[in-house]
Amino acid sequence: MPVRRVLAVIPSHNEEEALPAVIASLREAAAHLPWELEAVVVDDGSTDSTASRALSLGVRVVRLCRNLGIGGAMQVGLRMAHRGGFDCAVQVDGDGQHPPGELARLVARLEEDPAPDLVVGSRFRERAGFRSTPMRRLGIRWFSLLLRALCRLRVTDPTSGFRVYGPRALALFDRSFPYDYPEPEALALAQLSGLRIVEEPVAMLERQGGRSSIRGVLTSSYYVLKVTVAMVLAVGRARLRED
Amino acid sequence: MQQFFERYWVFGGTCLLFALVTLRLIIRERVTLQGTLAFLLLLFGMGLASLFPQADAWIATRMGFTLVSNWFFALCIAALSFLHLLALISISRVELRSIALTQELALLQEKLERALPAVGERP
Repeated sequence: MPVRRVLAVIPSHNEEEALPAVIASLREAAAHLPWELEAVVVDDGSTDSTASRALSLGVRVVRLCRNLGIGGAMQVGLRMAHRGGFDCAVQVDGDGQHPPGELARLVARLEEDPAPDLVVGSRFRERAGFRSTPMRRLGIRWFSLLLRALCRLRVTDPTSGFRVYGPRALALFDRSFPYDYPEPEALALAQLSGLRIVEEPVAMLERQGGRSSIRGVLTSSYYVLKVTVAMVLAVGRARLRED
Repeated sequence: MQQFFERYWVFGGTCLLFALVTLRLIIRERVTLQGTLAFLLLLFGMGLASLFPQADAWIATRMGFTLVSNWFFALCIAALSFLHLLALISISRVELRSIALTQELALLQEKLERALPAVGERP
C-alpha cells in the first residue's frame, strides 16, 4: 500500500516569532505520523521576515505579494495540495495555537469507513486547553446555532481553523473558498455540497506571538455580521442552484 | 430671445466641462471607455435637460412631481446610485481577479524557485 501524503498548510502573516516553534513541533509530530508529512508556509504579504525565516527552517514557502487574509492564504495551500496530488491537507496556524501533537488523532479520522471529507478540531468537545475568551465563546455559540438552523450541521467549534481536508474537500475549496473570516462559511459550503464533516476533540494553546486580526468591539461586530450574512447568502445560493 | 435665456447654460456648461475632463482621461488612458460610458451618457442627458427645460417640466408633471427641481433631484439620485452600483461591480470584479492572480503568481513562483534555486536568490 503506498504511503499517504499530508500537506501541512501554515498560513502566516507577520509570524516570524512563533514560526520556528511551530515548525519544530510539526517535525516532532511528523515522526509519530504513519503518513508522510510535508509543510508549506503561506506567507500572506508579511512585512517582517516570516518568509526568509521559514526558508531558513527548510520548509516550502509560498509568498503572496499582497495580504489576502486567512481565506486567500489558505486557499493557496489547499490548491497546492489538490494539484500536488496530496491525500489530504491540514491547517496549522502560524501563531502556534494549533499544537501539531494533536495532528495524529485528526488525520487518523480519515481512516474511518465511511471516511469523512473534513475533520474539525474542536476545543469544546472536551474541557481541555485554551478555550478562548467569554465574548468569543458567545460568538462561536451563535455560529453553531446558525449552522444548525441553516444547514442542519451540528458542530461545537465552527471557528476552529485546526482542520483536516480530505480529497473531496480539497477539490471543492480549490474552486471556491471564502476570503474573509472563512471558517464558519467554509463549513456551510462543505455541508451544502454534501461533504461529510466530523469533529475531533483537541486541546489548543494561546497564540505564541503576533496579534489577532479580530480585536476590539467594532472589528468583532463586523466579523459576526459579515459571517452571518455570508452564511445566509451561501444557503440562499445553494437553494437557487437546487431549483 | 426670452426662450434662449430660460435655458440653463451654466449647468449645461458644467456638464460639458465634466464630459471634456472625462474624455481627456480616456484619451490619456487613465480610465477606460467601458467604465466611463455610463457616466458620459448621464452627462449627455443632464446637458440636454439643461438646454430644454420645457421638456423637463412636461416629464416632471407626467411623473407626478409638482416641482421640476424635485424631479431633477430624484433623477440625479437614481442616476448616481446606478453609477455607484456599476462602480461596485467593477471594483469587486477587479478585486476577485487580483486575488486569483496573486494566488497563481505565488504558486508559480514557488514552483520556479524549487526548479531553479538560483532564481530564488534574486531580490
